[in-house]
Amino acid sequence: MTASETSVRRNYSLGARRAAVSIVAAWHLGFDLVGTVGTWEDYRFPWLAGLAWVLYAAIAVVAAVALLRELPLRFTVWPYAAGALAVSAMVMAACEPGDVVNAADWGWGSVGWLAMVLFWDRPTWLRDLSLFLLANVVVTLAGLALAGTLDPRSLSKFLVVSVGAITLQAGASAGGHALDLAARWAVENSNRTAGAEAARKAADQVHADRLARYAEVRSAVAPVLNLLAGGADPADPDVRHESAVGAARLRRLIAETDDAPDPLLHTLRACAFDVERRGVVVLFLTAGTVPPLPLEVRRALVEAPIEGMARARRQARVTLVATPREVIVSVLTDAPSLPSADGSRAANVATRVEAENGGSQLWIESRWTAP
Amino acid sequence: MDREPLDRPVTLAVVEDTPVVLEGIRSWVAADPGRRVEIVASGNTVDSVLDGAGAHADVLLLDLELDNGVNSLPRIPELVAAGRRVVVYSVHEDDATVMAVLQAGASTFIAKNETKEHCVDTIVAVARDRPYVPPVMAGALVAADGQTSRPMLSAREREALLLWFQGMNKQSVALRMGISEATVKQYIERARVKYASTGRAAPTKTTLLARAIQDGLITADDIIEYQSLAADHHTRD
Repeated sequence: MTASETSVRRNYSLGARRAAVSIVAAWHLGFDLVGTVGTWEDYRFPWLAGLAWVLYAAIAVVAAVALLRELPLRFTVWPYAAGALAVSAMVMAACEPGDVVNAADWGWGSVGWLAMVLFWDRPTWLRDLSLFLLANVVVTLAGLALAGTLDPRSLSKFLVVSVGAITLQAGASAGGHALDLAARWAVENSNRTAGAEAARKAADQVHADRLARYAEVRSAVAPVLNLLAGGADPADPDVRHESAVGAARLRRLIAETDDAPDPLLHTLRACAFDVERRGVVVLFLTAGTVPPLPLEVRRALVEAPIEGMARARRQARVTLVATPREVIVSVLTDAPSLPSADGSRAANVATRVEAENGGSQLWIESRWTAP
Repeated sequence: MDREPLDRPVTLAVVEDTPVVLEGIRSWVAADPGRRVEIVASGNTVDSVLDGAGAHADVLLLDLELDNGVNSLPRIPELVAAGRRVVVYSVHEDDATVMAVLQAGASTFIAKNETKEHCVDTIVAVARDRPYVPPVMAGALVAADGQTSRPMLSAREREALLLWFQGMNKQSVALRMGISEATVKQYIERARVKYASTGRAAPTKTTLLARAIQDGLITADDIIEYQSLAADHHTRD
């Protein structure tokens, strides 16, 4: 996943988490606090109700911090869940027997919100939340039984409030998780689109490269093939030289795309090897380490020397001198001549082709100088 | 080529364990019209050669890699310190090998592919404490000099070394550079002298420098400059 995709997911996920925390805060302040303070006089043990409110608030703060910072809870989630159930029981115990499941008994209906936040990050949040809500129902029923108010009126009120609360709490939780899931889908979808786009671009590039290579191969071998097709004698030394030159060009095209540690040296060596197989004595000498060079510079550097090598009749001395600021390739050979170079040009590469030793030899030098 | 007459042939001891290479060296020495070199000893190891007839040879020709797997490079400093003029030859002609051999104090380095043309001239020059730079060594000097931030070679010296490395003879180099052959020789030899001040100190290097001053190849002032440049090279190494 890329950084921006991660941030999309994080934004969605964080939004849902913030919404959940806001619900709990609003509920606890707007409903629970109002319930506690408004019915303060009606409690059997008002301090117990106050303590339960504070305990609820404490658990809510710890759970909210963990949720927003995406950190695991200390001592796992269960002690906090037990605390939430205790809040439900404490508020019930604080009420007069007749007030259980009435307005003063705010705890049993609102601890589900706390559970929603507590279980949010767990993969098994649905199961855990259901278990908790079930346990809360059991605690509340036990409270009703202990208060001796298991009458139809209280029971029906209990059922209505329970169904309402559970629906809201489970629904909010499911909604938040659905948002998270939607974000993940969106990211996966965008990944797939980006992947397809990248694959298409790569395919276009490969196709363009192939066309370029085809054009190069064509220009490398077309002249000699035309000669042969036109009825030229393959035994003619000139035709044989043209063939050798075509072969050397093909060799360069193949070698320059090989993945070698030193591509320039690799290309020159590959060509020298081919020329040697023709029976030409090649002396290949190098000094220094070739700095990394772009393909067009390498191509411009080797083109004339390779032509020279390919046209060698009996011997060729090939040298390469490299320093970080200069690379010089030269060929001294008995080749008769070199057609004027019309091929690769590159900035900072200069090529000289001159007669040597009174015309008995040809000296070719290509020199790249760092800009 | 040095045509100064010799009062006696240069005596040469050869450390070489491949018979065919030794035969080659013998034939090149024999083919020299002036008969300037005489092989007085040969053998498989440095010790066997120096303990016997080679003890007082003017020049020691040493194969860098003997077939028994021994690399002669670590032996060079002690031989040079003992006042021996060592010429190293090798199939490994990369610049790193050449420079390592020169740094160890050898008088010169010849690649095996150029032994035929340069062997006798090199030995004669070394016997007289004169610099001799075969083409492969010229390439190594250009590459080594280009790698430092304070090059020791002048542009003209570089150009002469480069053309020499590329396979031209000194006459061609002279023609191309528009100078005399003697000047080409001077440029190439001066480059060698400049690099003589790098690496470890050795009696042969001192005599090389002294001879270079005597021959007017360099001045005494140059030496001080080269040595400060060489010191600079060392601190970087």
